[in-house]
Amino acid sequence: MSKKKISHLPPIKHLNLTRRHFVKATSALAGAGILSSYGLPLYAASNVDEMMKMYQNANIDWQSQKGSSIVLSGLEHPWMASIEPLIPHFKKLTGIDVSVQKQSESEYVAEVPVKLGAGNPTPDVYMVWSYGQAANAGWLESLDQHFDNPDLFDKNWYDLGDIFDSAKSFPIWNDGESYVMSITAEAQTMFANQNMLDAAGLNIPTTFDELLSSGKKLKSGDVAGVAMRSKADGTAGSWPGGGFVFSNGGVIIQDGKCMLDSPEAIEAIHYYGTILKEAGPLGVGNYHWYECLNDYMQEVCAIGMDSSNFAGDIENPEKSNAAGHTTYGAMVSGPSGKRAKPNMWHWMSGINSKSQNKAAAFLFLTWANSKPTCLMSSALGLATTRTSAWESDGFKSAFGAQAATAALSNLQNADGKIMKDCWFHPQSGEILTPFGIAINEVVTGTKSAEKAMKEATAKINKALGV
Amino acid sequence: MNQFKKEKNKFIILMLMPATILLLGLTLFPFVVSFILSFTDYSLLRPGQTKFIFLENYIELMKTKDFWIALRVTVVFTVFAVALQVVLGVVLANLLHNENANVSFLRTIYLLPLAITPIAATFTFRLMFNPSLGVLNYFMKILGFEPQAWLASPSTALFSLIIVDTWQWTPFILLICLGGLASLPNEPFEAAKVDGANSFQIFYKITVPMLYPFISLALLFRSIDAFKTFDIIYVLTSGGPGILTRTLNLYAFKHGIEYLSMGYAGSIAIVMLIITIIVAQIFLRKNKLLQAKETLR
Repeated sequence: MSKKKISHLPPIKHLNLTRRHFVKATSALAGAGILSSYGLPLYAASNVDEMMKMYQNANIDWQSQKGSSIVLSGLEHPWMASIEPLIPHFKKLTGIDVSVQKQSESEYVAEVPVKLGAGNPTPDVYMVWSYGQAANAGWLESLDQHFDNPDLFDKNWYDLGDIFDSAKSFPIWNDGESYVMSITAEAQTMFANQNMLDAAGLNIPTTFDELLSSGKKLKSGDVAGVAMRSKADGTAGSWPGGGFVFSNGGVIIQDGKCMLDSPEAIEAIHYYGTILKEAGPLGVGNYHWYECLNDYMQEVCAIGMDSSNFAGDIENPEKSNAAGHTTYGAMVSGPSGKRAKPNMWHWMSGINSKSQNKAAAFLFLTWANSKPTCLMSSALGLATTRTSAWESDGFKSAFGAQAATAALSNLQNADGKIMKDCWFHPQSGEILTPFGIAINEVVTGTKSAEKAMKEATAKINKALGV
Repeated sequence: MNQFKKEKNKFIILMLMPATILLLGLTLFPFVVSFILSFTDYSLLRPGQTKFIFLENYIELMKTKDFWIALRVTVVFTVFAVALQVVLGVVLANLLHNENANVSFLRTIYLLPLAITPIAATFTFRLMFNPSLGVLNYFMKILGFEPQAWLASPSTALFSLIIVDTWQWTPFILLICLGGLASLPNEPFEAAKVDGANSFQIFYKITVPMLYPFISLALLFRSIDAFKTFDIIYVLTSGGPGILTRTLNLYAFKHGIEYLSMGYAGSIAIVMLIITIIVAQIFLRKNKLLQAKETLR
């Protein structure tokens, strides 16, 4: 029963392979084929010369910043993990040195704002965790002027048409400028251990109620039914919990006001808490995404629902016992009967507005998001923002074809606007932390969903001044 | 001669200068900055729009329920953690002091937690507390008990943090008390033995009272330090479940680093400082450390 099944996924509307996509994808794959014909991994150092040809097709003066050095700062994340081994290519192409600073997510979001707020010129390029906060505080350089610089950017070669629409619209801030580039694409996706589902005679759940009942049936002494984040932290339960709220017809922020005390939001978080209380692992109230992923890969949990990016780790047999028998599914829908809207995210990278090496930093961003680099990083399992990379054999092999289909479908069903209203808010920290704590209170049984959400809403609205 | 004295003074001042500058830079300067910031609405999100708001941050703090919850958690954590550490530290110091050289290696073992990087030890505890894969629940199952959600349950989270803090800091009390025991005169102990006192009576009636100045000192240092605990709580629970383990330091961190409201965070830090000074002063006056030293002589 190790064969993967396509679960109950809605049809993929926008991502059907059109002729245009096909031509783009095959051109890119032909480029990648040059390398694979040598029998080497695409990112191998010995392939640098072949890769250079692909970059040199661009009408960009790659060597214009030769001799400068930049600092790249990011968190422990698949993007950093896949970009770091490729940096020698960038150095060879541009003559620019790149120092890498990497931290855990909690450390990163605590340290970098203080550095940037203090006017530090480094890092030059950094992963942006809160676009609203960073853009509003003036910590990001507008990229528009660099896009217009013919020495630094070649629109035709870069091929914006290859990039997902949501990834193109994400960076446009409310003043019309783009301060970041989207670097990954991920959506809330269900992953279920098919062997365990089969043993229990269950199908992959499609609603909150089914997730609860399946989770309870799958839970045994050693195995939890469902694991989702719920640590008392703004970066934990708020993201998957947000997907539950959206999938039950609720929103977090509307017209600048917190709406978590709406009946839809309260009901969604009640379900979230009940599922984890009745089918979750012991101590789930202290689970961040690391614990959820780890439990799933160790097969001590049957179903998880988190970032589609987890597929890269789940399908790696060196890391995961669940590799080869995981089914990826759509976001579950709530009892309101409304369409499920999974949460989604594009990680973004931007240039520090105080950087002394902005041109070099921009070259790095262009290189990192270019088609050849995305093909190489996607072969390492990174879910980039480019159609050509998602359709490449390298990506399908590393990520899993069915996981890719499910992730794309969930991305299609996500509503970027309601997500951005909250996560791009300049005071997103003051929204997400009380929300994360409220979810934790419900999961740990400290408070009822109604009480926790009403209290969180009052705190958030007070902080927002409404 | 005067010239020599002047030169000598200059030399002393010159030699002390680097350490003094460093000390002032690392203690006085941040304090003054925090103090000034606490009267403003300074936020890293609006660096150019800072306004002087006098006591508004403090008034807001006093009106906020979360502040009082954090204060209560901090006090409970400090009192129970330090009390447990003092009891264990004094008992262990007494046992080690009375042992012969054959078990002297135990001193080294007991002091090891002090030498381990706190964050590394905390991550190890996180693994040990893991409900499904941790060693604690493994032993609980072997002993026939129900496994526990150590860090996620409202009933055990704070207790677990106290255990970690106790593991780390009991050796500090032990070290001070061992030094104290080594400096105590032998005569009272010998006299007690001649009078027929048993080990417990000697410990309770003679050792502890004579050790009191050392215990007081250790208690004061540890209380101040425990009041400021941050790392173990941040790593193990992030203040959860809910806000049941969120101490004042963590509360200040949330406002300063996560919400970037430096003015408000500064007011929390200043309130913590005031509480520490008041408690330390009361403690010092009540305990009359100097008088206790007199009794030793």
